[in-house]
Amino acid sequence: MAHIWPIGGGKGGSGKSFLASSMARLLAKSGKRTLLIDLDLGAANLHTMVGVPYPEKCFSDFILKKVTDLGDAVLTTPFPDLFLISGAHDSLDIANLTYEKKIRTLRAISRLDYDYIILDLGAGTAYNTLDFFLASRNGIFITTPEPTSIENVYRLIRAIYLRRIRHFFSASDFKKLEKKVRERLGNDSWNKPENIVSVIRGEFPEKFALIKKDFNAFHFKLILNQLRKQDNTALGEQICKIIKKHLGINVDFAGNIAYDEHVHDAICQRVCFLDRYPHTRAANDLRVLNRKMSNAFGEQLIFNYL
Amino acid sequence: MEKDFDQMNYYELLDVQPGASALEIRSAYNAAMQMYQPDSLVSYSFFSREERDRILALLDTAYFTLINEAQRAKYDQTLNGPDMELHRGVKKPVSIFDIRRQSAQISIRKNHTAELKTKISQSRTIAEILSKQEIRGADLKAIRNELGVTLEAIHQETKIRLDYLNSLEEDRLDKLPATVFLKGFVKAYLKSLCIDPVDDVSTRYINSLPHKN
Repeated sequence: MAHIWPIGGGKGGSGKSFLASSMARLLAKSGKRTLLIDLDLGAANLHTMVGVPYPEKCFSDFILKKVTDLGDAVLTTPFPDLFLISGAHDSLDIANLTYEKKIRTLRAISRLDYDYIILDLGAGTAYNTLDFFLASRNGIFITTPEPTSIENVYRLIRAIYLRRIRHFFSASDFKKLEKKVRERLGNDSWNKPENIVSVIRGEFPEKFALIKKDFNAFHFKLILNQLRKQDNTALGEQICKIIKKHLGINVDFAGNIAYDEHVHDAICQRVCFLDRYPHTRAANDLRVLNRKMSNAFGEQLIFNYL
Repeated sequence: MEKDFDQMNYYELLDVQPGASALEIRSAYNAAMQMYQPDSLVSYSFFSREERDRILALLDTAYFTLINEAQRAKYDQTLNGPDMELHRGVKKPVSIFDIRRQSAQISIRKNHTAELKTKISQSRTIAEILSKQEIRGADLKAIRNELGVTLEAIHQETKIRLDYLNSLEEDRLDKLPATVFLKGFVKAYLKSLCIDPVDDVSTRYINSLPHKN
């Protein structure tokens, strides 16, 4: 089965698509059959970054059942071993994907035969984004060292956390839990999954054991993008530490990517940054990251919906 | 996930082993302060204001308990359980110098300028002391206590040795360096407490010293 890497980060412009396309390019270069899926529903633009200016097929074809198999929506790119499912011609209402269609998509993705599948997700914390992110245990968070971006990545992590906890409860139990949490810790506490978990620990010990086991199996990663010279290089480690200490989720800090004007140039020229400027610091950081990550990921892959 | 933050023991709060040396505890505290200070990029959006205040207060108590040997011994007795026993025997080498050490300027919790200034303007005791012509070490100590700032914090901020700061507050002139240096110390001390005007108050302190040369 393929390794699935969902790439998410709460805020727009933090480099999700850039990272997705660069990682895919590097994986393909090392001979792995790699598929990029543009799941930034409603704001898809990944095709521009991998040299496919006019995609002929797209993700919508699958949703609208123009093609029955998701594999038929796959495009080849100018690069060997790199494939793309574009979202360029998605219908304008695609952002509101229904539950059934989402499940159908997730199932279809799990059946695709590639070495690596990279999911480029949109900003924000819509259920679609969260569920696509939870398609794999190997999710990657990306943020820039700016308060706005960090705030949104925390929000995304908390939203994912809560979404995952939700899987362990039936709708009525979850309502009961919500009531209990609000009674115990006040109305605001529902926004913080750490509070919810502390209530679960007391009230539903067997559920708590399950949730704990489940979260221990996740290998989230964090990447800090656009790190300028004056920025604190230890920031990523500190973010992971605070998440570990207060949310109890293991997020490994994967590394920094240096800020580089050339990225902007490459995107404007619509060429692959790694090919156009291979000897820049950012390109080097990407290669180091890629090497580190393709070694560090385990085999496992989950789908709760199947 | 295992434990809520406010239920952790002091060692867990600071992320140190139960057998940690004072040096390790201090650097752990510095590291924690870098993360939890209100202006820290890491935790700025992670906590609400109340949560942060609670965490900072907890960390302060943890630090000042563990750094004080007598209090630490007392605290250790209240702890029981396997994790304490486990670590007591083994003692690992302690690094006395960390080459990656960040410039320590933001290490200790900043005595918040605004907070201190409002306290100064509200306190009658401080106004009384500052209006006196003769200012002694005891007066400085009274101001500091009124503001709730520890000597340790001043020491970290000004880098003046703790025993100098102590002698300064106790008017032990024989323990203090020459007046030129002393003047600088007093100014730094006052500055770290946000007392205004620094020059005027420090001059009064120097003039009130018993054996002026």
